[in-house]
Amino acid sequence: MLWFFRGIRRGVVTTHYPARPDESSRFLPTPPAFRPWALTRSTAGRLEGACPSGALRLQDEDGERGGGRLVFDVGRCTACGRCAAEAPHAVTASGAFELAATSRSVLIKIIPLRGEAR
Amino acid sequence: MTEEELRETIARQFGRSLHIRTLDTGSCAVCEQEIRLLAAPHYDLHRLGFFFTPAPRHADLLLVTGPMIRAFELAARKTYDAMPGPKVVVATGACALGGIYPRDPFTHGTVDAVLPVDVWIPGCPPSPLTLLHGLGVAVGRLAEKVRDLPFTAEPSGGSGGSSPRASRAPERVRGDS
Repeated sequence: MLWFFRGIRRGVVTTHYPARPDESSRFLPTPPAFRPWALTRSTAGRLEGACPSGALRLQDEDGERGGGRLVFDVGRCTACGRCAAEAPHAVTASGAFELAATSRSVLIKIIPLRGEAR
Repeated sequence: MTEEELRETIARQFGRSLHIRTLDTGSCAVCEQEIRLLAAPHYDLHRLGFFFTPAPRHADLLLVTGPMIRAFELAARKTYDAMPGPKVVVATGACALGGIYPRDPFTHGTVDAVLPVDVWIPGCPPSPLTLLHGLGVAVGRLAEKVRDLPFTAEPSGGSGGSSPRASRAPERVRGDS
């Protein structure tokens, strides 16, 4: 019964998304965002080891393991937060939840490392 | 009719009303929980003209979850073949995109190993809002946003470059009253 009055008081229960933003999106677990100036090679190596789903990989231009770029596959990310727990100074939550893509390749992001050429 | 005109006609027809068939190819059912929530009062998928249908013969959009286990490959192909064209395949969740079981011998690892995927929705599980955005992208009503997100934070603190405030400009959508 109280829920009924709560709905009346707030005017509407159904979200207006996508016409208007939904306030509950702030509470969603979201993929990480990286701070490139704090992301050294050794930190990136620890992040690669902490990622349970293989979304973070150190690769070079040819896709060889152990290269100088951090490759972040958003499609594989489960937003578990283990990278943010491993290196809280270098990783934060991105807050992005509109992640649908029309091609698989746009979900693969290259994160520059500190002191490495892009 | 040129290919461009045909694509526009399809987008216009999908923009009116769309029937969704969900296909569980070995998922842990959490994606299904989130898909089920789309029909709940808060999200109310039907206000946008999307409906779930039990029959692939009535479906325009195939919402595939799970890592595509090999035992399900034949059923997935038959479901896809039973759908009338034009049809859209949406791979849903990190399993379907190759995140959880990329090298498991009992699975193909990704949905696009078997079916031609048109839209990829990441997340483990994707939240109902992410699914709504994905369905909007699949029918051409909403813009794809992840292409421009760098997933790097700005030095000024906060979530920066991909802040939800910046990326959520109000957007008018047909069918939402």
